[in-house]
Amino acid sequence: MNTIIKNTRLFWQGTLLSYRALFAWLRPVTYMASKIIMPLAQMFFFVFLGTYASGGKNASFFVIGNAIQITSISGIFGVTMSVGGDRDAGTLPYLFGTPANRFMIFFGRAFMHVIDGAIGVVIALTWGVLLMGLDLSRTDMPALGLTILITTFSTCGLGLLMGCLSLLTANVMFVNNFVYFSLLIFSGANVAIESLPAWMQVVSNILPLTRGIAASRALVGGASLNDILPLLITELGIGLIYGFVGYVLFAWFETQAKQRGTLETV
Amino acid sequence: MNAIEVEHLRRVYRAQIGVFNRSIKEVVAVDDISFDVKQGELFGLLGPNGAGKTTTIKMLTTLLIPTGGSASIAGFDAVKQATDVRRRIGFIFGGERGLYWRLSGDDNLRYFASLYGVDPAVSKKRIPYLMELVGLKGRGNERVGGYSRGMKQRLHVARTLLHDPDILFLDEPTIGLDPVGAREFRSVILNLQSQKKTILLTTHYMFEADALSDRIAIINKGCVIALDTPGGLKQHVSDLSVVEVETFGTSEEALGKLRKLPFVDALSVEDREQKQMLLIQTTRGAEAVPDVMNALEGQRVGSVIVREPTLEDAYVRLVGGAA
Ligand SMILES: Nc1ncnc2c1ncn2[C@@H]1O[C@H](COP(=O)(O)OP(=O)(O)OP(=O)(O)O)[C@@H](O)[C@H]1O
Ligand SMILES: [Mg+2]
Repeated sequence: MNTIIKNTRLFWQGTLLSYRALFAWLRPVTYMASKIIMPLAQMFFFVFLGTYASGGKNASFFVIGNAIQITSISGIFGVTMSVGGDRDAGTLPYLFGTPANRFMIFFGRAFMHVIDGAIGVVIALTWGVLLMGLDLSRTDMPALGLTILITTFSTCGLGLLMGCLSLLTANVMFVNNFVYFSLLIFSGANVAIESLPAWMQVVSNILPLTRGIAASRALVGGASLNDILPLLITELGIGLIYGFVGYVLFAWFETQAKQRGTLETV
Repeated sequence: MNAIEVEHLRRVYRAQIGVFNRSIKEVVAVDDISFDVKQGELFGLLGPNGAGKTTTIKMLTTLLIPTGGSASIAGFDAVKQATDVRRRIGFIFGGERGLYWRLSGDDNLRYFASLYGVDPAVSKKRIPYLMELVGLKGRGNERVGGYSRGMKQRLHVARTLLHDPDILFLDEPTIGLDPVGAREFRSVILNLQSQKKTILLTTHYMFEADALSDRIAIINKGCVIALDTPGGLKQHVSDLSVVEVETFGTSEEALGKLRKLPFVDALSVEDREQKQMLLIQTTRGAEAVPDVMNALEGQRVGSVIVREPTLEDAYVRLVGGAA
């Protein structure tokens, strides 16, 4: 029992500190901007563009899509920084020189971003309600909360994989931007999936977010938790798969770096 | 049981050269190294740049897989039982990198304590103690990004003591420290030594190695070329004395003449601001001075001293004047 308490405290301590060490914006102002202003800008842009192109009735389609997609700021950029940041800090030898459980290190790095990403979505939805006429009166709120959490989790899974890539090669921010903007389209945030070409639909189906956005739209439209449960379970599974592949890559990176002597090459 | 046992350790790096026509070049960083370090011993590892010291330490600290040979640390195999080894060792690779600059000093220590599984209740007491030990008391809540280089190195020392390891690997820990800082650092090392910690130290400061080490291995080109106590190493050059000549802008020609003198075993030149120190190793002692002065005719010469050889002289002879 005591060891469980001790290990939980250790996990928390490590998780919080690594979040601050590798990610947290240098100043609260920058953080607030990324949490409050940036989602607003993105939502305005796509909601106006989208309703202009497809008619005003569709506003909630874009509001929900973009609000949920906001989670990938944390899930993709944040997690990548948290996993890949050790490379720039020169801390990899000191990190891998500890006996710490690698599984804990790895998933600990994403933990705070799940919470952070979920908060981002809530803020974005609030903008939607306040400024863009989003109507949540028919929505099962606990179910929406669960959907947000699971979607954020699965996006972080993809982020973990991206983070590992950033350990392997230096230029991942470029790839990250590419992934972020791809998600704007492939996830169905701004385009109905059915209207995408077949090959793009295949990509949509193996990405996180897609089912989370669909589930959220259904919930806002009045669906029950039971209706969207299959979507949620698949979304969760996708996240777990990405996270697991990321972890395998992380373990592989450590072995490779020790074999080739590349632990501190930037 | 010895704290550290190294047997025929070898490491070859495969470096890719050329961007377009990729070819692989093999670098033998550590060729064949064996030595033992007893419990509680302070063992110095000396050698010229590129000799393979850091590579050796990386293998002993489980961060690099050897190409051949084996190492056991506290009785555990450095490859097969890496986690057991990691629990019992601390290590520093000199310099200021390897800390989280966005976190405060205390938070850096808290984070590494969590990675080493130190109970938060224990680290709460231990962190202030260590900060005081390394002379950072009162600076713990400042961000490490604002620390000076020396402060960062001190923090590394505190970091590596968090889990109270029995064996420490210190790779050039005093590099870039000011003289007072380096001296304080040495007193920390002596303090650790008095706590019966086993320490493996590399340094390019010979007096430091001389003052601290119980035994020293000198390695060159990936092989141990001498292994003895500091006194024992100096015995290698007990036949020698050193003539130190202070000069001001000596010509190459004069240096050439000096080198040709039959009794000059080795000559090295150290630049010290406007002047230079010529260090001449000779078996002739003071009798060599008149001939040396002859060879330097026409040059501006300051003081001339004849002294006993130091560890540095032994090192220079062993490494072959290349250092
Ligand atoms: N990651 C690496 N990849 C390829 N070659 C390497 C790598 N690290 C070191 N080497 C080579 O291995 C040799 C030994 O290097 P090492 O760093 O062990 O020397 P050292 O004794 O620590 O030197 P110094 O006193 O300069 O720190 C050098 O020739 C170096 O170029
Ligand atoms: Mg070195």
